[in-house]
This record gives sequence, C-alpha cells and structure tokens, in this order.
Amino acid sequence: MSMVGLEVNGRLVSKDVPDNMLLAEFLRDSLGLTGTHVGCDTTQCGCCIVLVDGVSVKSCTVLVANAKDSRVVTVEGLSDGVHLHPIQEAFIEHHALQCGFCTPGMMMSAVDLINRHARVLTPEEVRSEMEGNLCRCTGYHNIVKAIVAASEKMHAR
Amino acid sequence: MNDISHGLQLEPRPADLIDGVTLKAVGQPLARKEDLRLVTGQGRFTDDFNLPNQSWAWMVRSPYPHARILQIDKEPVSAMPGVLGVFTGQDCLADGLNAIDHSPVPSTKFDVRLRGPSDTPVFLGRHFLLPTDKARHVGEAVAMVVAKTREQARQAAQALLVDYEELPWVADTQKAAASDAPLVWEDLPNNMLVDSSFGDEQATHAAFEKAAHVVSMKTHINRVTGVPLEPRAALGNFDSTTQSYSLYAGSGGAVRQKKELAQVLGIDPEKVRVLSYDVGGNFGTRNRVFVEFGLVMWASKKIGLPVKYRADRTEAFLTDYQGRDLVTEVSLAIDANGKFLAMRANNLSNVGFCCVSLSPLSKGSGLVTGSYDIPLLLLRSRAVFSNTMATQAYRSSGRPEVTFAIERLIDKAARQIGIDRLDLRRKNLVKPSQMPYTNAIGSTYDSGEYEINMDKALLLADWQGVEKRRAQAKARGKLLGVGFANYVESSIGFPKERVDLIVREKHIEVVIGTQPAGQGHETSFSQVTADLLEVSFEQVFITMGDTDIVSAGGGTHSGRSLRHASTALAYAAIDLKVRAKNILAAVLGVLVDEIEFERGLFVHGPSKTQVDWFELLRLAQRSELPADLQGGIQVRRDNEMHTPVFPNGTCICEIEIDPQTGALAILNYATVDDVGRCINPMIVHGQTHGGIAQGVGQALWEQCFIDASSGQPLSCSFMDYAMPRFDNLPSFKTEIAQVLSPTNPFGIKAGGEGGTTPALAVIASAVEDALMPICGPIEIPMPITPVKIWTALDAARKNKEVLL
Repeated sequence: MSMVGLEVNGRLVSKDVPDNMLLAEFLRDSLGLTGTHVGCDTTQCGCCIVLVDGVSVKSCTVLVANAKDSRVVTVEGLSDGVHLHPIQEAFIEHHALQCGFCTPGMMMSAVDLINRHARVLTPEEVRSEMEGNLCRCTGYHNIVKAIVAASEKMHAR
Repeated sequence: MNDISHGLQLEPRPADLIDGVTLKAVGQPLARKEDLRLVTGQGRFTDDFNLPNQSWAWMVRSPYPHARILQIDKEPVSAMPGVLGVFTGQDCLADGLNAIDHSPVPSTKFDVRLRGPSDTPVFLGRHFLLPTDKARHVGEAVAMVVAKTREQARQAAQALLVDYEELPWVADTQKAAASDAPLVWEDLPNNMLVDSSFGDEQATHAAFEKAAHVVSMKTHINRVTGVPLEPRAALGNFDSTTQSYSLYAGSGGAVRQKKELAQVLGIDPEKVRVLSYDVGGNFGTRNRVFVEFGLVMWASKKIGLPVKYRADRTEAFLTDYQGRDLVTEVSLAIDANGKFLAMRANNLSNVGFCCVSLSPLSKGSGLVTGSYDIPLLLLRSRAVFSNTMATQAYRSSGRPEVTFAIERLIDKAARQIGIDRLDLRRKNLVKPSQMPYTNAIGSTYDSGEYEINMDKALLLADWQGVEKRRAQAKARGKLLGVGFANYVESSIGFPKERVDLIVREKHIEVVIGTQPAGQGHETSFSQVTADLLEVSFEQVFITMGDTDIVSAGGGTHSGRSLRHASTALAYAAIDLKVRAKNILAAVLGVLVDEIEFERGLFVHGPSKTQVDWFELLRLAQRSELPADLQGGIQVRRDNEMHTPVFPNGTCICEIEIDPQTGALAILNYATVDDVGRCINPMIVHGQTHGGIAQGVGQALWEQCFIDASSGQPLSCSFMDYAMPRFDNLPSFKTEIAQVLSPTNPFGIKAGGEGGTTPALAVIASAVEDALMPICGPIEIPMPITPVKIWTALDAARKNKEVLL
C-alpha cells in the first residue's frame, strides 16, 4: 500500500492504495467515476482512455502510483457542469454513439487529438490518429464526422 | 419433406389503427434521449453496479477442447486467502440445478420446421451451469471460485487442480458431420442434431435435367463473434429475508433472463428480479442466458453475500456466444433465356458444443432463394455439434450466409452464361406485382420494390463511372473491383409484446419489455408515442430493463422491437384515449360520446371544456370516480403478431487491391435499404453503418480461428481477432427506401441488420472482380486477408509464366 495524491477533474484526492492498483480501477472503484470503462484490460480497445496531464492514456495499463501528482481528466470532467464540452455536443449532434460503451474513451482520445492540432482536422487525419480506439456499433462513420465538427468548433475562435 | 407455406396474414390490420394520426415526430432525425447520460459518464452498465460486501467469482475453464473431468481437488484452494467457496458441477447437481432451457428451435408458424434425423425431435444437448461429466470446448467453465476480491478469486482459480482425461475432439464443421467423428454427446449415434429436407424433390431434379445451364458452388461462411465492447458481467444477490434473488446483468431482454434463470434454479420466477439497463453492445450474443448469470445468483445464496463476475476480454472471445459457421453447397438451374428454374441447397450449421439456437439455420433456410423468383427448390438443412463454443443468432442471423450463396452463385452464372451480372439479376427479381410473394420454401415476402433498389444503388455508387475509375486505378498500378449484391431478409422474432401506457403528472411513461443495446429505443419509441397521443417528444419517457416494473416482453432480436413496440403502442393509445374520455365524462357528468380528442386535447363542446392529458390527470385525482375508472389514466396492452416482414435492399462496393502486396482498400460503399417506415432516419443510418462494418469485418478480417492440430482457439484478444478499425473503413453512402409493410400499422420492416446482410457477398464479389484480369474466376475463402489475396495473385502469375 502506498499513499497517492493526484488531481481528478479539478479535485485533489489522496488515498492509500495497493501498489498494483491500476488507474482505471482507482477511478471506477475508489472514486466511483464509472464513466471510464474497461473493455479489454490489455491496452487494445481504448474504452478506458483518460487525460493525464493533458495526454490521452489508456488507464487500464497505468498504475495509479504512476499517476501520482498528475492532473487526470475523465469523461465526468469534460463538461463544466453547465455546458457540455464541444466534443460531447458533437457526438450527440452527429449520432456518434450507439451503445455508448466506447464513447468516453473515444471522446477523451479525440480531445487530445484536437488539442494537438491547432486547426480543423480532416477525416483522413481522424481515421489515422484514432485507430487505437475500437467501436463495434457505429462503423466509425459518424464518429469521424463528430470529431471533425468538434475540431471546427474548438478552433473556430 | 415439409414446408411452411402460408399465405400472408394481415393480422391485425394495420394502417387504419393509425388513421387520423398526424406524423410529426415520426420520420424526424431527432437527437437521442439516451445520449446525455452516455456522453457525461452517467450510463448504467452492469459493471457500474456494486453492492455492499460483494464478493467476486472467477471461472476455472477447460484448457482442452474435449476432456473427461475425473476429479477436482477443492481443499488446497479453499484455504487460500479470501476464498469463500469453490463450486463444481457436482455441487450444482447436488443442489438440483437444472440445465438452461434455451428453447433453441424456432417455433412460430412462420419458421422453417427443423427436425432431427428421420423426423425425430431435435436433441439439444444439456447446458448445465457447470458440467459434471466432461468439458466440451476450450474455455468451458468447469468450476467457480468465489473470494473477497477479484484478484483473490483469480489467483485461487489458477491454483485449482482439475484432473482431466483428454478425449478426441472435433471442431471443424464438415469433419464434425463425418460418421467417424468423435462424439460430443453420447446420446446420439453421430453429431448430427438436425437433418430436414424441404421442397419438391422430383420437380427440382426434373428442372435441373432440362436446364440449359447449371452453376454450383460450395463455401464456408466463417465463424465470427459479436464482440460487444462491454465485457459481459453479472452481479447476483440472494435476500434471505424475502428468499428472492436479484441479478444485475446486461442482456437482450431481462424478462427472458428472469424466466430461464428461475427455471435453472428451480424457483418461482416471481422470486427473481433482473436488472438490465445500459448494455454495451449485443448483436445477438447476449440474447441467451450465460452460465455465469445463474452461477452468481446460486453462489450468493451459498455464501450469503452478493457475488459479482466480469469477463475479461479473453474470456469473452472464448465464451461469448459466437456466430455464423455454415457450410453451404448450392446449385442453380437456368434456362436458355437466363431465367432461373430451380435451386438446390445443402446447408450445414455448426452449433458448437450444445444447441442454444437454431435461428441461424432456420432463418437462412427460409431465404435461400434470395430476392429472386425461383419456382422450385430442394433444400437440406443440417446442424452438427462440435467441440467449440455454441453459436447463436449473430447480427442478421442466417441471412448473410444464404445471401452470400445466392449472390455469389449469380455472379458465377452470369460469367458462365455470358450475361451481364446486373441483367441476369433484373431478369429474375421478384417483381412488385408479385407481392405478397411466396418463395419456394413458403416464406411470404410482404412488400418491396427490388429493381428500384437496384437502380437507386447504381446511381448512388456511380456505376456508370466504374470503367473510367478502373482505368485510372490501373494507371496507378492498382486493381479496381466492384461488387454487387441484392438482399432480402426476414424479421420474425418473439411474437408477443406488452406495453403499459401511464399518464404521469408531467409526462407519459411507456413501460416495455424490449432491451436495446444502442438502438435508441428511448428515442424512437418516444417519437411514436408522441404522435399517437399528440404530446411532445420531450414529454414521453420509456422504462425498460427492470423485471419488477417490466412484467412481460420479448426483448430485442431479429429486428423485432420497433415493429412490435409501435403496434402495441398503437393499440394501447386507442385504449388510453377511450379510458381518458370515460374519465372526463365521469368528471363532468356527461356522456362519453360528447367528448372528442383533438390536437392533444380532450374537448367537451357543450361545457367548453378543453384539457390535455396532464390536466385531465389532475382532474381525475381530485374527483370521485366510479371504481372501474379509478387508478389513474393508464392501460396495459398485450399484442401478439406473428407475420414476418422482409426488409430488402441493394449494396455496391468498390475496392482497390495492390497487386504487389495483396493490400485492399475500400473506396466506396453504397447501400439502399428498404426498412419500411423509418421512424428516425439518423438512427437507421447509424444502424446501417454499424451493420456494414460487422459484415465487412467478417468478409475481410474477422475469424474465430481454431488451431487444427490442438483445437485451441487462437484469436482471443484484439491483437489476434481483427476488428474493423477507423483506418480500414471508408465513410458510407446509405440511402433509406420506405416501402411500407402492409403487415403492421406503421408499415415498419426493420433497419438493424440490412447493413450486414449483403456485406459478405458484396465484398467477395468486389474481390473477384478486381482479381479477374490476373486470376480469372476465383473464390477466396473468408476472411479475405491480404496474404490470401497475394497468394492467389502469386499463384496466378506463376501459372501464367509456366504457360508462357
């Protein structure tokens, strides 16, 4: 066991955790943030993606101890509590989710992608960059549209 | 010989039930009600639920495809840290647990009647929660360990020693059908559980005798699995005070789970509550009971604590119910004018280690003649057991298989005869004037304009420009291919549905027993209800998934949900208006005939009274009403509807192959899908997109691969099982056609499976077209991977060199 302190969605948390506890388990089981999903346990599907210090990370393969002193943002932290984040709006508007299980990881990954490019993304860029996220429902068609639309919105300013 | 010949039954008719209903919300691409919770992390998936003091279960799974269980030594493991119990098949037997009754034989009067060999009842095998005699596939759970934490359970399970005696095994579909194959079940003389023949044998043979052309092919529709991204999970709890069970478990229908699990445990269904809220993908794989669901309930009673289980991804690949796996041999007899005379088909389905569903074989059997007028048919439908995970209805159960067979056969025939592949199809399509059309096996297609679908798709895909693009591709050193396929499929499914319509203070509640896994029922059912009751879309709320509230219902499969829901809602809306009028008449002390329902208002002219549903509820609550009008404004409606509907369409796909590497890229993919009335086009297009991806995935990448020397499944992670990804699919061109079905009030067919149905055929067609200049006619077995394409090209090139 070791004491780990980090910031999650703007809130400082500090807990005594087992050394082998994964970040995904910490978020879901210790903090009750069940929006982060575990789809494969092996870094392959992307359902568990969160932002750690602004970078998208598959939280099923990161020890919470490794995230010590970092800033973690999960799907629950995307919205400011009043307004949805542009990526959330775009996913709804473009029907980019069906069952919704891959959606949190998809959106967190997309936010990182959009932030890394300070311009509007092309569909080809989205397809190439997002290939680490799996979706079984949508055939990706509408997710591509939503991410391009969100990039337009986020970089229109 | 038997057949399922029935005329089209218009039960209950139909469109007049919604006469006078103005469609405002119906047909609009409204944003989904489901989405807000799902994009903010507030979904309620099974693994999101926890109960105080819960323990964890881990399954001990067979490493062998076939092995006798000699002994399981529980003692050493029972003393390991945190272990609360170790359970085996013997324990289940001692407690009198029953095998799961999957009711696998489709039994509506519109289903093809499948029987055992020599017209015997079908032997199904026995699906116990844990087996006592042998393990029949790699991954079958043979014991369960329950411990305080998941990690403790996992470690103890890994330490459990099971003595096995390895037995000869068989996994391959055709080998399993051989007379000397190892027996999966000793109850049968061989592995054949179904052997039924249909059609007119003599007339079919005669037609083949006189045919100008006969084309034949044999192919294997590969085994794949559904891969919902949410691994299956279950949380069971036994309440000793009430002697009742609760189970949190995502599925395709909580009511079915409740009924079948109660039967397994040998208890009254009223003692079981199943909760299934957000479900992270289904595609058919979750529509049958999984053993772990029963096991966590039973274990909870044994140890006195809630018990939770969550599959890891490898377990999901090993033991989620799988799909397809059909060997089909087909022949087509054609006259000198290119008219189809007769068809022979011999279909062999691999059901796996025990029979959980014959839906794939049955549904396919009803549609072997596809979209074409083929007057004579001889069909043999067989099913075998094998040492593999059980197969079940997977997205568009049975239809992609038979669509593949007929469409590929027609491509082949066109080449053989020297007719254009489109012309040969046009010449033989079922015409609108023939509707309702009963095919040679007795399935009655309700409606459709098949040739118009073709024309629309050809336009959408710019068929005219194909040769120009082919030349451009050639100039780049690439091989362009274009695939074509028509399809017709059937939506049958469980024939009963129940809805409760309840007027609440500020909204209308609909309680229904379907179970979506992303199909957006909360949205589309709200659209239907809003128009029927003339309230706003926002004022409707749908309740599903908790069997303490949802008392009956058939779940979601076979594209049945919207057709059944909208029909039951249409009846219920009429009942609710009658009840509401009676209530208002009683409140006002007037005759019910004096009350009209107009634009969402109940109007009594003489007293100048106008109230909406919610005002009426307030009035009713404040009034003394006769006994039969007390209890609020609500009705329950049960509806039974057997007649199937037949969605149909056309699909065109354009690909490019790099002849140096065998790499394949999809350039264009266009579909026209006749879904009947479309309630929400945004959702229907989304369903088509996802369906396409699953069909294309099967054709190009996906396979449950079993090593032929060891019987070990080798595709058990996302590194080995090739899923469609962002970067290997194009954006799609999808168009919805709406030829209303005459069988139900809204004219709905179905929109969930049409994307998948023709996808296998259209991809194979495109690949053959692309390779034609080098390889000539060729059928590469699915999945058509780059290495197989390269191997075919390499062989053809070497062959040409030899010839030179």
